[in-house]
Amino acid sequence: MVLVLVSLTIVTVDQTSQTHHLTAGAKSVADDVLSPLRSAVDDVLHPVGDLFAGAVHYGALQTENQKLQAEIGQLRQRQDEQPFDEEQLRELLALQNLPFVGDVPTVGAQTTAVDVSNFDADVTIDKGRDDGVAYGMPVVGAGGLVGQVVEADHRSSIVQLIVDGQSKIGVTLGVPAAASPTAVAQGQGQRSPLLAVFVAGSAGLRKGRLVYTDGLEGAAFPGGIPVGRVASWRTVAGGTQLNVSVTPAANLGQLRYLEVLQWEPTP
Amino acid sequence: MGADAVTPGSVVRVAVLIGAVVVLQGTLGLELRIAGAHPEVGWVLPICAGLVAGPEAGAVVGFVTGLATDLLVPTPFGLSALVACLLGFAAGRLATTLSDPGPAVVPLAAAAGSAVAAMLYAVLGAVLGQDQMLRVDLGAVVGVVGVTNAVVALPANRALRWALGRAAPRRRRSAAPGGRW
Repeated sequence: MVLVLVSLTIVTVDQTSQTHHLTAGAKSVADDVLSPLRSAVDDVLHPVGDLFAGAVHYGALQTENQKLQAEIGQLRQRQDEQPFDEEQLRELLALQNLPFVGDVPTVGAQTTAVDVSNFDADVTIDKGRDDGVAYGMPVVGAGGLVGQVVEADHRSSIVQLIVDGQSKIGVTLGVPAAASPTAVAQGQGQRSPLLAVFVAGSAGLRKGRLVYTDGLEGAAFPGGIPVGRVASWRTVAGGTQLNVSVTPAANLGQLRYLEVLQWEPTP
Repeated sequence: MGADAVTPGSVVRVAVLIGAVVVLQGTLGLELRIAGAHPEVGWVLPICAGLVAGPEAGAVVGFVTGLATDLLVPTPFGLSALVACLLGFAAGRLATTLSDPGPAVVPLAAAAGSAVAAMLYAVLGAVLGQDQMLRVDLGAVVGVVGVTNAVVALPANRALRWALGRAAPRRRRSAAPGGRW
């Protein structure tokens, strides 16, 4: 009974943030201790895992490869046949490079662990405060916004993915402009798309359209980072607003290398 | 821990065992992924402690293991400690109530207890505002955690006996109060 009460007290006190810095410090130390071990285990096991995965999924990989080759061919053909309009070109570039990063300095990082808890969507990266990574910094890679640093330790950090249930991102549906509808995209868990809720009107909405961070004043992310693509939508709230399902632009299954944007929101 | 078990040596051995399991979970445990979920071997220690040395030992081992686990996960600090503490206590109570425990009790208790712990963890997390914890594929998590912990239960039980300085019984016998399996 005493231990249950102690546990409840710890949970409650930590939630109310009075001693949160203490637990955060303890977590930081624990992570610093474990990080080298985790990296070592990862270095040993990753090639073995890749070998087995390659053997088991050889057929699927071959199919995927063929599919990607076909897509590249189609894109090249389209590029030759007809000029892309500005938005299409921007979309393509966004998925091939990271043009949205602009002048923001970045820190390259490698993923050392995926989903340290079964109940969160996150990755651990091998860069921390010593490398210039800080709480709240956006993380991009694999074609778009990946998430945000929620815990920065000395030599490692935890990145909450955009699909995590606690993730909320201010977005514009389409290229950031006055006419583009804005919304808040919420994570729905690892295997679900994001949900942009209470979008006012369906003007300009189409399947496949890119969704960007809005970059409004006080936003947690700089504007113009591709978040995902519109997958579907449905009307809510008496037919005046929409809930839009958004598939992440970044391939969240391939997060080996990431870039942390050294950008912090203005208070 | 049971009064007859607490010696400085046993405390150190249990601490080392808990540290080893937590490190194992934080490294190898994260590399294994089945149906989108990874094993959570930390739950097995309080269950075995409860079965081997009774409710109090189960609760203490659960509390310490949970607190150490909480250092490595982004979920609310203290939540694992709370759930593992209850889990160890419940396993200890089970040990005192079962009159004729068979050899399968340890893996079965590990599987069932871990599954319940994973569900309780998610529900309590949601109560604390982490509603995403109920949006995961709970069936996969419960299944993976339950099965893997059933597999590691016997070696974990053996290790805990060593840590607590309890010799393994030569043959199966009725559980004495406090559990002596």
